[in-house]
Amino acid sequence: MHLKKYLRKCLHRLQKGPGYTYKELLVWYCNNTNTHGPKRIICEGPKKKAMWFLITLLFTSLVCWQWGVFIRTYLSWEVSVSLSIGFKTMDFPAVTICNASPFQYSKVKHLLKDLDELMEAVLERILAPEQSYTNATRTLNVTIWNDTPLVLIDERDPHRPVVLDLFGDVHHGSASSSPAPERTCTAQGCKVAMRLCSLNGTVCTFRNFTSATQAVTEWYLLQATNIFSHVPRHELVEMGYPAERLILACLFGPEPCNYRNFTSIFHPDYGNCYIFNWGMTEKALPSANPGAEFGLKLILDIGQEDYVPFLTSTAGARLLLHGQRSYPFIKDEGIYAMSGTETSIGVLVDKLERKGEPYSQCTMNGSDVPVRNLYSDYNTTYSIQACIRSCFQEHMIQNCSCAHFLYPLPHGERYCNNREFPDWAYCYSHLRMNVAQRETCINMCKESCNDTQYKMTISMADWPSEASEDWIFHVLSQERDQSTNITLSRKGAVKLNIYFQEFNYRTIEESAANNIVWLLSNLGGQFGFWMGGSVLCLIEFGEILIDFVWITIIKLVAFAKSLRQRRAQARYAGPPPTVAELVEAHTNFGFQPDVARPGPDPGTYPDEQTLPIPGTPPPNYDSLRLQPLDVIESDSEGDAI
Amino acid sequence: MAPGEKIKAKIKKNLPVRGPQAPTIKELMRWYCLNTNTHGCRRIVVSRGRLRRLLWILFTLTAVALIFWQCALLVASFYTVSVSIKVHFQKLDFPAVTICNINPYKYSVVRDLLADLEQETRVALKTLYGFPENTSRKRREAESWNSAWEGTRPKFLKLVPLMAFGQDETGKARDFLTGRKRKFNGRIIHKASDAMHVHASKEVVGFQLCSNDTSHCALYTFSSGVNAIQEWYKLHYMNIMAQVPLEKKINMSYSAEELLVTCLFDGMSCDARNFTLFHHPMYGNCYTFNNRENETILSTSMGGSEYGLQVILYINEEEYNPFLVSSSGAKVIVHRQDEYPFIEDVGTEIEPAMATSIGMHLTESFKLSEPYSQCTEDGSNVPISNIYNAAYSLQICLHSCFQTKMVEKCGCAQYNQPLPPAANYCNYQQHPNWMYCYYELHQAFVREELGCQAVCREACSFKEWTLTTSLAQWPSMVSEKWLLPVLTWDQGQQIKKKLNKTDLAKLLIFYKDLNQRSIMESPANSIEMLLSNFGGQLGLWMSCSVVCVIEIIEVFFIDSFSIIARHQWQKAKEWWARRHAPPGPQGQDNPGLDVDDDLPTFTSALRLPPAPGTQVPGTPPPRYNTLRLERAFSDQLTDTQVPAES
Repeated sequence: MHLKKYLRKCLHRLQKGPGYTYKELLVWYCNNTNTHGPKRIICEGPKKKAMWFLITLLFTSLVCWQWGVFIRTYLSWEVSVSLSIGFKTMDFPAVTICNASPFQYSKVKHLLKDLDELMEAVLERILAPEQSYTNATRTLNVTIWNDTPLVLIDERDPHRPVVLDLFGDVHHGSASSSPAPERTCTAQGCKVAMRLCSLNGTVCTFRNFTSATQAVTEWYLLQATNIFSHVPRHELVEMGYPAERLILACLFGPEPCNYRNFTSIFHPDYGNCYIFNWGMTEKALPSANPGAEFGLKLILDIGQEDYVPFLTSTAGARLLLHGQRSYPFIKDEGIYAMSGTETSIGVLVDKLERKGEPYSQCTMNGSDVPVRNLYSDYNTTYSIQACIRSCFQEHMIQNCSCAHFLYPLPHGERYCNNREFPDWAYCYSHLRMNVAQRETCINMCKESCNDTQYKMTISMADWPSEASEDWIFHVLSQERDQSTNITLSRKGAVKLNIYFQEFNYRTIEESAANNIVWLLSNLGGQFGFWMGGSVLCLIEFGEILIDFVWITIIKLVAFAKSLRQRRAQARYAGPPPTVAELVEAHTNFGFQPDVARPGPDPGTYPDEQTLPIPGTPPPNYDSLRLQPLDVIESDSEGDAI
Repeated sequence: MAPGEKIKAKIKKNLPVRGPQAPTIKELMRWYCLNTNTHGCRRIVVSRGRLRRLLWILFTLTAVALIFWQCALLVASFYTVSVSIKVHFQKLDFPAVTICNINPYKYSVVRDLLADLEQETRVALKTLYGFPENTSRKRREAESWNSAWEGTRPKFLKLVPLMAFGQDETGKARDFLTGRKRKFNGRIIHKASDAMHVHASKEVVGFQLCSNDTSHCALYTFSSGVNAIQEWYKLHYMNIMAQVPLEKKINMSYSAEELLVTCLFDGMSCDARNFTLFHHPMYGNCYTFNNRENETILSTSMGGSEYGLQVILYINEEEYNPFLVSSSGAKVIVHRQDEYPFIEDVGTEIEPAMATSIGMHLTESFKLSEPYSQCTEDGSNVPISNIYNAAYSLQICLHSCFQTKMVEKCGCAQYNQPLPPAANYCNYQQHPNWMYCYYELHQAFVREELGCQAVCREACSFKEWTLTTSLAQWPSMVSEKWLLPVLTWDQGQQIKKKLNKTDLAKLLIFYKDLNQRSIMESPANSIEMLLSNFGGQLGLWMSCSVVCVIEIIEVFFIDSFSIIARHQWQKAKEWWARRHAPPGPQGQDNPGLDVDDDLPTFTSALRLPPAPGTQVPGTPPPRYNTLRLERAFSDQLTDTQVPAES
């Protein structure tokens, strides 16, 4: 009962709103709002009223505009960066060490025998053609040759280039009609090129080189890849340099370590690579002090005498510092360490930590990249290099239906070789030169959000010194080979010192430049600055809008009723109907003229209908309640005069 | 009536000009304090008691002061920048790579130009250090000239004599030429810094430079004869080379085919045609890769050495000038396509018989120019004309400034730098005392007395390639056997001899990865931010806004002045009336308004609900009173009362 009464009261209040007409409502709002402008619109003379009205409008539009600017700024997801630099105990980077030559020549000789002989014959023919053609009686395995032969293009007559097969059967080839002219052809006149054919030798292209060195190197590499792709992985590992032969001494800070502390990994370019402190099985080793004394010291023997002569022309160790649990892309990012020198590397860890979506287009772990990561077999983290290589391998399999030897093998695929895929060299060379393919890969792959670079300061000195050379090599030979003879030489010995610099980290961290607090405080600042408003003012405004709607509804209802009434009156245009007739139809018609009465008369209120006795004081009180509004208005106007 | 007049009249009628709200200043202030939107003022008026009022005045003033202080801080820190670092993985433009042989000209070709100079240098070495003459293979040829020279006048040593003198006996020096000690008057400028103490008994070597009238002389000394002789040689060398026309110099230097044995970029062969010639005064012919005009810039879409530039250089050590360069190898510099390669300043040296692998990382930096910092976008607002045919950089500006000053002061241009319009390089024939002038000017330049450092500004944006250089032995022992003959074949007709390992150098330049870092400055504050910060400050301390500011202007500057003016006008009118008419019994104008100051009634002040006994609706007077007073406090008062009644 009580509640019902209360609710009715509420309804009553709600229905009434703060005023009965739009004007009243507006005046009430202007007078009572907390926003600064509107108050002044109503309290002064007409000129000032107009001025304040304009000012308020102007400020409102300014506030709206500025809010728009701020919200747009917020939605642009900008970031601010903070940079910190200093020294702290950090995990020592993973160190990958490879030899520049992938295999020991003594162990791969049987595989490369035919190829090497062929290569020597080719070189002979390029350099001194007359002699080699006369004594081309050597038994050569020409089956390798026929897949991708090298040709000599004689361009001394630019309009009629002559293509000469570098090998015995001069009659083979398109332009062999002219019997070999005077053969004193050098790099200026003749170019060495590789003939790449597909579809059983019907479609051929020449891959031109400006120098014979490049041509024979590329050719040899292609053939060697072809040969090694037949060999199972474990045999390849055996043919590479074993850890105990490569790593002679190891010292991490004060603690000794040896080749067993290194994780072995097979790299197609460099054979066996060894990773120190990879952090795959055990915890990564920290380093708490800067300086060479607390870093990693290594002595390596690259065994230059046993290099594959045609495969690599550069001698040295390959070295890469990378993060724990990341795959070493040593061919891209690695550096060389020279034999016969001591290479000191000061390390600064340059870390970039980015925020992910929606701030930048980076990926946290690569799970949202549409490329299958082939390097995930190594249990390594995502990196964009891995993605691009996987992407290339995918394209390779699509186009050439075999996988390239330099990249990991997806399940159920085979590496390219000439026997099974005779067209692969042609296909691969096309794909490799294809810029569109690379760009698709770049666009598909996303960079990872956390990017760590190891900035290195490299310095070198001769090692070992002439005075110490003798005993050092003695000791190292004794340890490795248990022989009293010196099995090492300056040509093979590499010393490495890797240590943290005095400042070992530089971290660039992104944080959201504009967070929600920033947005709110700026919105508040703008609203406050121009109009002195707050959220409550917005709520007030919303309330007024509701009231507005309410008044409109009431007015509409009243209008509709009056319309109906008028129609009803119009219906009985002729003789007016009797009261009795009307009573039969609509009982409560008697109240309606009251409602329809215009003006802020208390009679307008529909709630009056609910009141039982119409002639009682309440309307009087009501009018009293309304009075102050008018009084104040007129008063202030009076004051203004 | 004209329509304009009509509108005017209408405005006058509808919006009549009226005076301020209150008749007196005090009244106005009171009105302002009560009606203003700022928070402090109201409390001043409403508070009871002198102490409270004082406190509120104090608070309000403090708040105002704080607002001013904070806003001043905001304005002062408006022009600050925030830095953002972005990383993009994308296809990168390959930079221009300029490669020079350290030795500028083939010695066999340039020799006849420098024969006299070489002679004299050898003589100087002999007299100074007792050099045995026939030690090196090059010196053997010099012997024949040595005897022939006896008769001729030594022009170089005479012009700029090399001298040795003891540190302790200043003013006395031993001339190499005559062997006699001679008096020396003038300033002694030690090239070696004063802080370094050279051993007292040691003889120092130097040379003397005199101005035109030989009254002003300067002696440049070096702690080591090596430096002295090289510097002395270089001075004369520049003199001689300045007179040689450019075409001849280009012909004397190495050709692209000679320097570049093989070239491979991104797996594709390239050759001398991919390189553009750039003649450097001290390094001779340099070749720039990827700098060809009206051709697209090459780009890299994969990281790693096989996708970068691989060249094998032919460094012909036999053709080296023994006095000009003492090291052997090549120099390489990575730069922007439109940038001038300052190879002598920032080049990386390449050792022969080695593979030098240079991994690059690209960092781009953008700074904001005026008013955030003093940098310049394109150098157009720097008052130094760019004499280089390249984009602006600080280095270019400094060099241009020095060269311009040099032409101004000495009348000729320095050989190391390009020629400004309408000037030519210094040489003895035309400018006999240029060396003295140059050294003087250079000293002044180093001491920042020329004002170049003050005028030149850094460029706002620059690309930087961070290089990681590592060396490896090349060719390896086992590959040497086949590689050298093939390279000889590649080199072809340029050289007749068989190539040696130490004549070659391999260079690999590549992007380590395609991550490009951009360091960008952006304004930390915008106008919107500043305003919203103002708003925050105003709102925090006083709940003030621009509206309040307008109010203040209105009340304090317009209304109060008009009140004062009205007062004065009335006073004047009164005074006038009093002078002309007998004074009447006139009191002050409406004191009735002071009724507002009346204390509120008990009921209204405490906002008590009306006593239950007074619920008789027919007692008007107290009602009216509350109605009138309610205005002073709040209009809500009645509103709260009504529900209690209904």
